[in-house]
Amino acid sequence: MEIKVSALTKIFRSPSGEEVRALKEVDLTIPANRIFTLLGPSGCGKTTLLRCIVGLEVPDSGEIAIGDTVVWSKKQRIFIPPNKRGIGMVFQTYAIWPHMTVFDNVAYPLQVRRLPREEIRRRVRETLKFVKLEGLENRPATALSGGQQQRVALARALVSEPKVILFDEPLSNLDAKLREETRRELRRFLTELRITAVYVTHDRLEALTLSDLVAVMREGVVVEVGTPLDIYFRPKHKFVADFIGKANFIEGTVESTSEDLIRVVTPMGPIACRRAEGLTPGQRVTVCVRPEAIAIDRPGDTSGGTNTFRGRVVSLLFVGENYEGEVAVGKTILAIKTNPAFPIGEGEEVSVYIDPAQCHILME
Amino acid sequence: MRMSGLRPRISPLTFTFVLIVGCLTVGPVLMLILGSFSRGIGAFGVFTVEKYIRVYTDPSLPKILLNTAAFTVGSSLFATALALILAYLNVRTDIPLKGLFHLISITPMMIPHIVFATSWVLLLNPSNGILNLLLREVLGLKSSPFDIYSLGGMILVEGLLDLPIAYLIIAPAMASFDAALEEAAWVSGGSKFRALRRVTFPILRPAILASLALVIVRSLAAFAVPSVIGMPGRVYVLTTYIYRLISLGFMPDYGRAAAVGVSVLVTSTVLVYVYRRLTARSERYVTISARGYKPAIIGLGRWRYPLSFLTSLLFLVLIVIPVLVLLYVSLIPYVMPPSAKAFSMMTLKHWNYVLHDPLSLRALRNSVFLALVGATLGILLSTFVSYIIVRVKSAGSALLESLAFFSFSFPGLVIGIGFMWFFVRTPLYATIWALLIGYIATYLPYGIRPLTSTFIQISEDLEEASKVAGGGFLYTFRRIVVPLAIPGIVSGWILMASMFLRELSLSAVLSRPGTEVLAVQILRFADDSLWGQVSALGIVMIALSTTMVTLATLVGKHIGKSK
Amino acid sequence: MKRWVPALVGLLMCLSFVAFSHGDELLQKALQEGKVVFYANITAVEPIMEAFYEKYGVVAEYTRISTSKYLPTVLTEFGAGKLLADVLQAPVPILEILKKQGVLAPYTSPVASAYPEWTMDPDGIIQIFGIEYVGIIYNKDVISPEEAPKRYQDLTDPKWYGKIVMPNPTSHATTISWLIGLKEKVFETEDEWWDFLQGLAANEPLFVKSFGPTPGPIETGERPIGISMPKYIITHAPAPLDWARLEQPLLGTPRGIALSSVAAHPNAAKLFIDYWLSEEAMKLLVTNVGEYVLYPGVYPPIEGIKDATVLPVRTLSEEELEYWAEKFREIFGG
Repeated sequence: MEIKVSALTKIFRSPSGEEVRALKEVDLTIPANRIFTLLGPSGCGKTTLLRCIVGLEVPDSGEIAIGDTVVWSKKQRIFIPPNKRGIGMVFQTYAIWPHMTVFDNVAYPLQVRRLPREEIRRRVRETLKFVKLEGLENRPATALSGGQQQRVALARALVSEPKVILFDEPLSNLDAKLREETRRELRRFLTELRITAVYVTHDRLEALTLSDLVAVMREGVVVEVGTPLDIYFRPKHKFVADFIGKANFIEGTVESTSEDLIRVVTPMGPIACRRAEGLTPGQRVTVCVRPEAIAIDRPGDTSGGTNTFRGRVVSLLFVGENYEGEVAVGKTILAIKTNPAFPIGEGEEVSVYIDPAQCHILME
Repeated sequence: MRMSGLRPRISPLTFTFVLIVGCLTVGPVLMLILGSFSRGIGAFGVFTVEKYIRVYTDPSLPKILLNTAAFTVGSSLFATALALILAYLNVRTDIPLKGLFHLISITPMMIPHIVFATSWVLLLNPSNGILNLLLREVLGLKSSPFDIYSLGGMILVEGLLDLPIAYLIIAPAMASFDAALEEAAWVSGGSKFRALRRVTFPILRPAILASLALVIVRSLAAFAVPSVIGMPGRVYVLTTYIYRLISLGFMPDYGRAAAVGVSVLVTSTVLVYVYRRLTARSERYVTISARGYKPAIIGLGRWRYPLSFLTSLLFLVLIVIPVLVLLYVSLIPYVMPPSAKAFSMMTLKHWNYVLHDPLSLRALRNSVFLALVGATLGILLSTFVSYIIVRVKSAGSALLESLAFFSFSFPGLVIGIGFMWFFVRTPLYATIWALLIGYIATYLPYGIRPLTSTFIQISEDLEEASKVAGGGFLYTFRRIVVPLAIPGIVSGWILMASMFLRELSLSAVLSRPGTEVLAVQILRFADDSLWGQVSALGIVMIALSTTMVTLATLVGKHIGKSK
Repeated sequence: MKRWVPALVGLLMCLSFVAFSHGDELLQKALQEGKVVFYANITAVEPIMEAFYEKYGVVAEYTRISTSKYLPTVLTEFGAGKLLADVLQAPVPILEILKKQGVLAPYTSPVASAYPEWTMDPDGIIQIFGIEYVGIIYNKDVISPEEAPKRYQDLTDPKWYGKIVMPNPTSHATTISWLIGLKEKVFETEDEWWDFLQGLAANEPLFVKSFGPTPGPIETGERPIGISMPKYIITHAPAPLDWARLEQPLLGTPRGIALSSVAAHPNAAKLFIDYWLSEEAMKLLVTNVGEYVLYPGVYPPIEGIKDATVLPVRTLSEEELEYWAEKFREIFGG
C-alpha cells in the first residue's frame, strides 16, 4: 500500500515552553511494496515521521494517508489510533514483552483480534518458521539472544500480515557481524513478502544495502529521495553527498557547457565533469568526487591529459582493504583510496587522475 | 473510522481521574480550609483571618517549626537509609534468611503506631526502661544511657514505623532495574562499592526521592510518636501543636487547627512538586526493557555471615524486641517490668476478653472488609492514576499527582473532621462506605508511590508495541502494563491493606455503631491505658496483616510466573 | 362497708393502671422504636448497654466519642440534620454548649429525684450523675501508704523529683480546670496554690496528653506516683495501684446526660435515661468502670472512697482556659 504524507508538521513542546519543530511541512510518497528508508543524522525527524505514520505521535498539521485511508488529517479532523491502522512495527529496543513467552509475544496481535485458537497457533508457527525461530515457542522471551529477540520482534510485526511494516533502527543494538547477517536476512524476508516497508536508520550502509528507495532527511525536512545508486553517485545536494559517504567537494566556476562534458575551473585546475542540466557558463558550482574515483599513479606517466593533476601524498592510513589517504593538489587536499599493493609512501609526488564520468556537479 | 478528537492521548481519561481524585481529596480539605476562614467552629461561618493571625503569631511557633523540620527530615533519612540497606541486601545479594528480612522490614506497618511507641517507652525510658536497666547493669553505669523522650528517640521510632513505606518503594525498584548497568560499571574497572555509589544509587534516585518525600509527608502528619514520646520530652512538633489547639477548651476549634494544617499542606505540595522536577527526565531511568530483566545476585563472599549477623542483630533490637514486648504485655495482668513475679502471674484474661468482646469481633470483621475491598479498589484507582502521572506528561497529570496527595498531607488529627464535614452532606454518612471512600482518598499516595516508581521503570516501547499490534488502551493496560507492574501493584496493595487495617485518624471520627473498626477499638482500650487488651488486639491485628501480606506476596509471585 | 370495697378496689385498680400504663406505654413505644443510639465520652459502658437490652429488649447502640471530637461531631451532625444520637452523655461544660445550641431537649426522669438537688438543671435538660474524679494515684509496690501524700502540697516534696506523671497542664482542658478547682475549692490562699504549682513544676513531672495514659507509667514504676484517676484502680486491677487518702476533698468535672432534641427514638431514649440513672445501672458503672456517681449510697468498690469528699469543679470559659494554659506554660515549661 502506498503511504502519502502531505505538509506534515510536528512540533514538540518542552515543559519549559520551548518549541522544537521536528517535522516541517514534509511531503513524501512512499510507493507500495518497496523498501523505503528514511536516512539522516540523529535529530533529523526520521523517527518522528515514522511514529506519525504509525500513530504513536500526533502531528500538528498536514495529512497522512495509507492506501486509500486517511489515517490522520488536521483539516478533516481524522485520527485513527495506532491499534486500528493495521501496521506492523519493529522497535529499536525490540520491545519484547519480558513477561511473556516467545509464542505469546508473537501471538499477541492475533489474540487482540480474537482469532480462533487453532488459527493463532498455526500462524504463529508459520511466522516463527519464516524468521527461523521454530521450536523456541515456549522459551521466555528474555532468555533469547539479541539477534533472536530481534527476529521475535519481526515475527510479531509480520504475524498479522500487515500491508505496511515499519522499522525503527532495528539493527542498532546488534554487534557488527550479526548486524551484517541480519541485514541480509531482512532484505530476503522483505523481498519475499512484497510488503511496504519503511525503515529508519542513521547508518548509510544499511540504507544503501537494504532499500529500494532512500529519503535523506535533515532538520525536519526531506532533502532528497532516490534509489541507493542515485543517492550515492548522483546526489543533488552537498549534504546528501556528504552524509551518504566520503566525498571531496571542489568549489569552482562553470567555464563551458560543450556537448559531452562540462568544464569547471577550480583552484586545482580545470576539471571535466559529467553532464548536468540547467548550467550556464560563469555559474558557481561544487564538484563532488568520491575518493574511490581518484586514481593515483607514478608521476609523469600520464601527464597533461584531461583531469590529470600532479600532487603530493600528505598522509596514508592502512585500513585493511585499502589505504585511505590525502593528496595535495596545489592547495586543494583530496581524500583518496588506493590499493595497498600499490607502493607509494607519504611525501611522494604522484599523478592524480579523476574519471570525468565520476565528477558530479552539485546543484546547491 | 472517525475519531471525535484529534488528540489520541488520554486527555478525557486524565480529566475523568482528575475529577474522581479531586472529589475524593479536595472536598474534605476544602471544608477544612473554609473552616479555617470562618468564625465559629463549623465549616461555614462569617469570614475571618483571625484564626491565621492567632496561630501564626504564637511566639512558640519558630521552635516548633525547627523541631518539626528536624523530626521529619531525620525520620525520613533514617527510614530511607535503612530501607536501602535492607532492600539491597535482600534483593541483590545472597544474604541468608531473606524471607525473614523481608517480613521484618514490613512488620512495623502492621503495628498500631501508638502501641509501637509505647513499647519503645517501656524499653528505653530513662527511669526504668528495660534496655536501659540492662545496659546499666552490664556496663555498671549510674544513669540510663538512653532517653527515649528526645528528638533522637522520636526520629528512631518514627523512622522505624515508616521503614515499610520506604522499603516497599525501594525494593521493587531495586528488583526491577537492569543489572547490566551495574555490571558495566564493574567491567569498566570500578569496584563493587564504586558501582553501587556511581551507578546503582543514581538509577534508584526516583525511588529514593519518592521514599524521602513520602516519609517526610507522613511524619509531618504523624501524631502517635510526637504525643507518646515527644510530649513527655517537651519536644513539640506541628501535630502536637495542633493537638494543643484542639484539646484546649471544650470547643475545639478545628478551623484553627486547619490553619496550621494549611502550612503542612503547602509544604507537602512543594515537596511533591520538587520531587516531580527532580524526576522530570524520568526517561533517563528507564530500565525494564526486553533485555536483562532479572536482577543479578551479588555474592557477599566472606562478608555474607558477618553482615547477616549484624543486620539480624540490628533488626532484632529494632523490631523483634518491641513486638515481643507486645506479646509479653498481652499476657501479664498489668504492665510491669519482666520478673519472676510477672511470669508467675501470666494470664490469658486479656485474650479472653478481647476474643469474646462482640464489639471487638465486629470491629475485626469491618476492618478486614475495609482492608480487602478498600485496598483492592484503592489499588485499581492508583494504577490508573499513577499511569497517567507517569505516562501523560501534561498539566493535567501534574495536577492529578498534587491532588492525590491532598488529604494525605493534611495532619491526620484534623482530616477526619474534614471528611465528617464533607460526608455529612451525603447519604454515605455513618455507613461503612464513608470509611472506605475516606480511606482510599486519604491513603491514595500509598498506592500511587510504588506504582509510579514501577511505571517509570517500564519502557514505553513495550506499550507502544502493543498499541501497534492492535491493542486498545484497556487491552494494553490489562495485558502489558498491569502484568509488568505486578511488583508495584503488590507493594501498593500491601501498603494500603495494612494501612486500612490499622487506620485510626479517620475512623476515630467517622466510625459509628455498626461501623466500628479495629484501631478505634484499640484506641478505646488505650484511652484507659488498658495495655493488656491493646496488646492482645494489636497482636490480632499483626497476625491478620501478616496473613494478608503473605497471601498478597504469594499471589503476586503466582501471577508474575503464570503470565 | 360492702359498698365502698368495690369502689376502693376499683380506685386502686385505676390508680395502678395509670401508674403502670405510664411505664408500660413508654416501654411499648420504646419497643416499637426498637433501639436507642447513645453518644458518650465515658468508656467501657458496654455492660450497661447489655443489661438494658436484657431488661427491656431494646437495643442500645453506643458510640464513644472522645472529648476533643465531641462537640465538632455532634454539632456537625446536628447542623446537617443528621444527628444520630438519641441520648448524649458528656462532661457538663460540653452539654451546656449543646444546650445553648438547641441540641438538647428537656426531660426530667422520674429517677432523678433520688439524686442531690444540685445535680438537676434548673431548665430540666441536663442531669448530672457523676464526677470524673481526680486523685493522687501511686504504685503500692514502690510506695508505702505511709509515704504517700496526705495533702496535695506533699507532691512538692523534693523526694518526688522525677517520680510524678500527670496530664499536660498546658494543653489538657480537664487538668487546667482541675488545677483552678484546687485554687478555688481546696487551697486556703492563692499564694499557697502558687507555691504548690512551683513545687510541682520543680519536681519535673512527666507530661502525657490526657488522663488515659497516666496509669501506665505508674504501674510499670517508670513514674510511681501521679495525678490520675482512682477509677483506674478498678479498671487496671490487679495492678498495684492505690490512691492517696488526702485530708482535702477530691475534685472532678461533673458528668451529665441529656435527651436529644431531634431524637429519632425519643421513647427508647427516655427509657434509656431512666435506666442509666437507676441504682442498678449506676451500680454497674461503679463496679465495672470505677466511676464516681452521685446516686446516694452507690460507691465504686475502692477502699476508703466512701469517706472521701468529691466536689465538682466549675466550667471555665474558653478565655480562662487559654489564659491559664499560657500561665502554666510559664511555670511548667513546654
